[in-house]
Parts: sequence; C-alpha cells; structure tokens
Amino acid sequence: MKPTFRQSMQWLHTWAGVVLGAVLMAVFWSGTLLVFDREIDRWMAPMTRLPVIETSTPLDPMIRPFIATAVEVGASSITVALPYEREPTLRVSFRDVSGLARYNLDPGTGRILPDPETAAATDFLYRFHYSMHIRFANVGIWLVGLAGMALLALCVSGIAIHRKILADFFTFRPSKNQRRAILDLHNAAGVLGLPFNVVITLSGMIIFYAEYFPSAVRSLYPNAASYYSEIFDSHSRPKSHVPADAISVDTVRHAAQKIWNGDRIQYLVINHPGDAAASMRVVRATDNIVLLQGDTAFFDAATGALLYHRAKPEPVKRAQGFIAGLHFAQFQHWTLRWLYFVLGLSGCVMIATGYVYWVDKRRKRHEQQGLSGVRLVEGLAVGSTTGLIIATLAFFVANRLLPLGTTFLGYERAALEGWAFYFAWIVTFAHAWLRPRRAWIEQCWWIAAFAVAAVLLNGITTGDHLVRSLTHRHLWAIAGMDLLLLAGAMVAALAAGKLQRRAVAPPASSARGRPPSDGIE
Amino acid sequence: MDHALHLLALTVVLYLGFATLALSQVRNWRLVIAASPPSPVMKIVLRAIGIVLLMLAIPLALWLDGPSFGSLMWGTAISVAACAVTATLSWCPHWLRPLARAIRAANMSQIVWRLNE
Repeated sequence: MKPTFRQSMQWLHTWAGVVLGAVLMAVFWSGTLLVFDREIDRWMAPMTRLPVIETSTPLDPMIRPFIATAVEVGASSITVALPYEREPTLRVSFRDVSGLARYNLDPGTGRILPDPETAAATDFLYRFHYSMHIRFANVGIWLVGLAGMALLALCVSGIAIHRKILADFFTFRPSKNQRRAILDLHNAAGVLGLPFNVVITLSGMIIFYAEYFPSAVRSLYPNAASYYSEIFDSHSRPKSHVPADAISVDTVRHAAQKIWNGDRIQYLVINHPGDAAASMRVVRATDNIVLLQGDTAFFDAATGALLYHRAKPEPVKRAQGFIAGLHFAQFQHWTLRWLYFVLGLSGCVMIATGYVYWVDKRRKRHEQQGLSGVRLVEGLAVGSTTGLIIATLAFFVANRLLPLGTTFLGYERAALEGWAFYFAWIVTFAHAWLRPRRAWIEQCWWIAAFAVAAVLLNGITTGDHLVRSLTHRHLWAIAGMDLLLLAGAMVAALAAGKLQRRAVAPPASSARGRPPSDGIE
Repeated sequence: MDHALHLLALTVVLYLGFATLALSQVRNWRLVIAASPPSPVMKIVLRAIGIVLLMLAIPLALWLDGPSFGSLMWGTAISVAACAVTATLSWCPHWLRPLARAIRAANMSQIVWRLNE
C-alpha cells in the first residue's frame, strides 16, 4: 500500500533525525557557545584579560617596531587589529619565513603578551561549528551543510506530522506520563523556536553559498581570486620597489573615522610595507549594526591620501552581509545575543528530546524482540548530548590544567586541548554503549563535576575567582562564564538526582501512564 | 540596559498577544479559570486581538531598535514570549486569571448587548 503524505513525512522526520541528530547537536551546541566566543577566548587566555583602553590612545609607538620588522623580513602585508571591549588586546600579524607571526599586545603599555597557546572559541569551537574539524576534501563543511538541509526538512516534516499543532500550541504537561512530557517539550522547542531554528540554519548555509553552489561563482568569474577581490572590495596596486616610510597609522585611522562618523576601526592592513606604493586598507567595525561586511577604505600609506572608498555596497552584497551578520552575531547588542544563546539552547533541547522520544518509544518493543537499535541510538543520543557537553568542559579543564609551553608527542598545547576534547567525547560514547542503564545519570554527574572543576581551576590558576571577577568591570566576561558553568553544573546535578530517583523506583505515572493518544506517534 | 528595557516592553506586548490567543482555546481557558469558556464569537474576537498584538509588536520593535536589530528582536522575542505563555499555563495558570476575568466581563457585556438587541 502506498504510504500517505503524513506517513512519508513521519519516516523522513524519524530517520533524518536519528541519523543526523548527532551532527545537528554538535553544530547547535557549538553555535550556542559561539554567541560568547570572545568571552570564552578571554576565559581560556588569561593574559588577554585586560581593561579596555580609550580609543584615542596613540598606537603608532606600539606598531612602528613591528612594521620595521615586517619590512626587514619582506612581508607582503601586516595586519593590525585594534582593541575593543570584547577583545581588549592589540593584535599584530604578518607573514615571515617561518609562517604567520602573531603578537598580542597590551594596548595600555605596549608590552608583548605571552602567546596564549590556545585555539579557544574563535578558532577551535568555530571550526568545529562549521566543519567538525574534518578538513579532508571539505567533507566536514559538506557534512554540516547536509545536516543543515536535514534540519530544514525536519522543521517542515515536523510541522506536517504534528496532529494538533494549533490545539497543542501552548501545551507542555510535565506532570503527565514521561513520554508525553518529552514529546510536549520536543514540540514546544520545535514549534515555538521555529523562526529562530529556520533562520539560523538557512543563514548558516547561505554563508557557505560559494562552497555549496560553486557553479554560480565559476560561471561568472575567471578564478576564485577575482571573485573574492570583488566581494571583499579589494583595491590593489603593484609594488614600486622604491623604499619609503609609512605615514602614521593613527593619522590614517582618524581620517577613516572621519569618513564613518567616528565609528570604530576594526582592523587595518598595510600592503607592501616599506614601499612607496604601500597602501593601508582600513575596515570599519560592525558592532552597532547587523550587517557583517564592514566598509573598507584604502589610503596611500606614504601620503595618507584617500585612494578608494565605496560609499555604499550593492544591494545584493548588503543583503548577503545582513544574512551573514545575523548568523555571526558579532554585534554589541547584548540583549539580542542573550536571546540567541537561549534559543540556541532550546534548539539543543529539541534535538535531545527528539532522540529521547525515539528511544523511549521503541525500548520495550526492541527489548522484547531482541533488537539492538535502541541500544545503538541511545548510545548515540547520550554521546551527542551529555557527552558533547562533557567534551566541551574537558576542553576548558585541559586549558586550565596544561601549563604554557606543554608539548606531548610533538603536539603543542593548543592541539592538546583539542585532543582532550575529542578524547573525552570518544570516552563518553564508549561509556554510553558499555553502561546503557546508568549512562545518562553518570554523565550528568560528570558534567556537574567538570563544570565545577573548571570554575575552581580558573580561580586557582588565574586568581580571577568570582569575587574578583564580579567586582572588576573588565572581568565580567570571566564572571559570566563562571556563573554559566555553575548554573550548568546545578542543572546537571538536579537532572542526575532526578534520574537516579526514577531509576531506583520507577514512578507510578510512567509505569501506568498511557502512551500519548494524540500528537505524533 | 536600554536594550534590556526594549526587550521587556516587546515581550510584554507579545506575551499578552499569545496569552489572549491561548485563552481563546477552551482547554487553556479551563486551566486558568472555572467559568464558562468564551462564546464562539468571542473566541474569534480574542484571536483577532491576539494576532493584532503580535503584529503591533513589529512596529514597536522596529521603532525601539531600528529596522535591522528590531526585526531580529521581534523574531527572537516572539519565541521567548510563546515559551513564557506555555510555561505559565504549565506551572502557574492562575497568573492569567485577571486577563481571563477581563475577557469574561467583556463576554458578559456582549451577551447582554445581544439580548438587548
């Protein structure tokens, strides 16, 4: 018999969710954390926890020696990222013979800070979010793209199979039987969070349009470089091979700020430093707008004359910049960023409850029929939810335990932190499959323990314990992270306690409770 | 701080919108108050009011936070407000009793008005 529309949608919803749920969870969880990427960076790199300086502080005396070095080693460009509230260090980088030389400076004193030796959030978690660190043939990016498509299909099919979407719109019955409550929670997180889930997933995929739909770029541009040059508003001129000193960075910075009504400069790049044809690319910060692509202006580095500035980008570029900006959430609108964080967590709840519902519904039948599906999927569910959280916490704990300069088997500290993440993650999967009855409870306890350990280790190794971080304005990012870790530990401990009590004496309501008579089955 | 106040204002309007929509449903009405549920006409009126409140929140959000941030604030706050109404109905349905009483009063006057006709 031909399946009905609802049956085929149900099939799609069930299997797309079970197969790709783990990837979706990884992307949603890391994306949620990345709302506070710079704050996690501060937590993981204590040497960069600095008070914010006045934007008028002259930068020339600090930058000049680096420009001189860059000229000496023949670097083709030197990049200077300016400090701001969320990233209070002055960052200088250029390419020399040994690779990319990167320096973090205290903008108040000009002192070079020790290398943080961590990939933290803006590197490790960021790459994990869009590629799961699978670099081979861009498989990771495509896997995340596939999961994104699957999530959109899950949203549509989920609506299609929901029997009483309007009647149950505001329904969550935690006191009813366990399975009903799980399904209610799944439906509430899915239906009520639908606008965010769809927009964030779609925008994430649009960011990678050149990867997922390369034919458009290939048919319009002779090569990738010409395409990116147009996208990023590049303006270049050849080297003259006549040596010349660059004009003051501060002069150019102020000239650019004048064009942009005093807005902050995010970073500037000096091309061909030390050459008479050197130019400075200045990029406007996008803190107070959603649009991600900051305006760019080019100045003659020798004379300070404005070479090129596009007053307003094309509408298509603006639209793309808005879509990318709403996804990256790098703006200073803290309320909106917190909303993103909360809705990101609700997305995680949606994915986790989807798994739990699948397992709960089939557990009895699979046990009777001797099938192993439930055991396999439950292990996947545990590993991809509580396991992923433990892995993230292990990443934080490893960051606080490994002293600077640690190397092991040829790997440097930053890489070792990444290994700690993956090692912990694999252990949680193994644990989930080896101890299926106790996995949820034990891993909830592990979360609580790891989170408290991270907070304690931060206090011990950096001295920025909660009392200190709460009373110093520039340490609020650290206080926020510590408080969220403690809140997470509390929720995990409560969940563990509740699951433990339920495991000892199965509640009457769940034993007697009817399976859901309405909603999806 | 301003942004948090904007969110508060926006959430209040959206919350009222969703609460009105929720009370147009008999099951939610019974959760909140032990009184006869709104008449079919009143249900339609409540739904219209609810949707108007949700829509009114759009210009409010755009006015408070500008077109780009405002649209995102509305798009995210709408989920938070709907979750808040769901949570209220799950744990503290009596919080919505004043609203239900007001609706019932309006409903009564409507019946009286109809009888007079």
